Amino acid sequence: MKGELTEGDRRSIREGIRGKYAQVAAAGAGCCFKYPTGQEAMRLQGYPADILATIPEEVLASFCGVGNPFSLGPIHPGEAVLDLGCGAGVDSLVAVRMTGPEGRVVGLDVTAEMIAKARANLEGLGLPNVSFQVGDAESLPFPDHDFEVIISNGVLNLTLNKEKALREAYRVLKPGGRFLVADMILTSELPPDLADKISNWYQ
Amino acid sequence: MPGKDFLALMLKAGFHRASLKSYTGFNSSPYTEGALFYGEKPLDERLRRDIETQAEHLAEPTKVECAPVGT
Repeated sequence: MKGELTEGDRRSIREGIRGKYAQVAAAGAGCCFKYPTGQEAMRLQGYPADILATIPEEVLASFCGVGNPFSLGPIHPGEAVLDLGCGAGVDSLVAVRMTGPEGRVVGLDVTAEMIAKARANLEGLGLPNVSFQVGDAESLPFPDHDFEVIISNGVLNLTLNKEKALREAYRVLKPGGRFLVADMILTSELPPDLADKISNWYQ
Repeated sequence: MPGKDFLALMLKAGFHRASLKSYTGFNSSPYTEGALFYGEKPLDERLRRDIETQAEHLAEPTKVECAPVGT
């Protein structure tokens, strides 16, 4: 979008994003993306095989990330991790295998249907130090300096006010905290007939 | 958003060591590609807070009277 977004544009984009991810929650990750999803995508992105082996296959099938944020650096035992835009919670479950039982993992997502799916994915895994909640990246429901690490996978490109979301991420990180992000970026100019399409936000 | 614009926003938010580390090879269109970004919240903020906390607890040092000693 080259021009300023109107309030109507913003509402349409938010509704479009929520609608798409509600569909993903219902139909599975394979329904809606132009890149690989599920366990095969995680293998291609180099997620540790020993960790993937601890997560049920039907949960791994929910993965629709655009990369592997864990490849950017280690997460240490005992650390607190925020999974920003956690979707169905697959990366949260990877993170908790790294923090161990002394750590804490919180998954946050704007789509209620995705959080319901993440909670269902968590059920029966015996991981009391993982929780999921609905929330907006532009207004994080956490105190200052709450997490050692924030991971995010394919989410910030969907955020309307990226500057605000990044300021919020900075606020809730502890000093020395790490921000590990996989995201979709523009690599070339959009043609004019696509540049102003609202649907570009959630394709 | 192009990667350099995203990096600029990270820096503006306060992150240091902000960088675009690599591309992931996953594309959602011919004009987009997955990318990996890294950033850190500076440690200086912690050091500054530690120093402030220590300063709050600093007691006035006790004065020691020095008696002259003979040679």
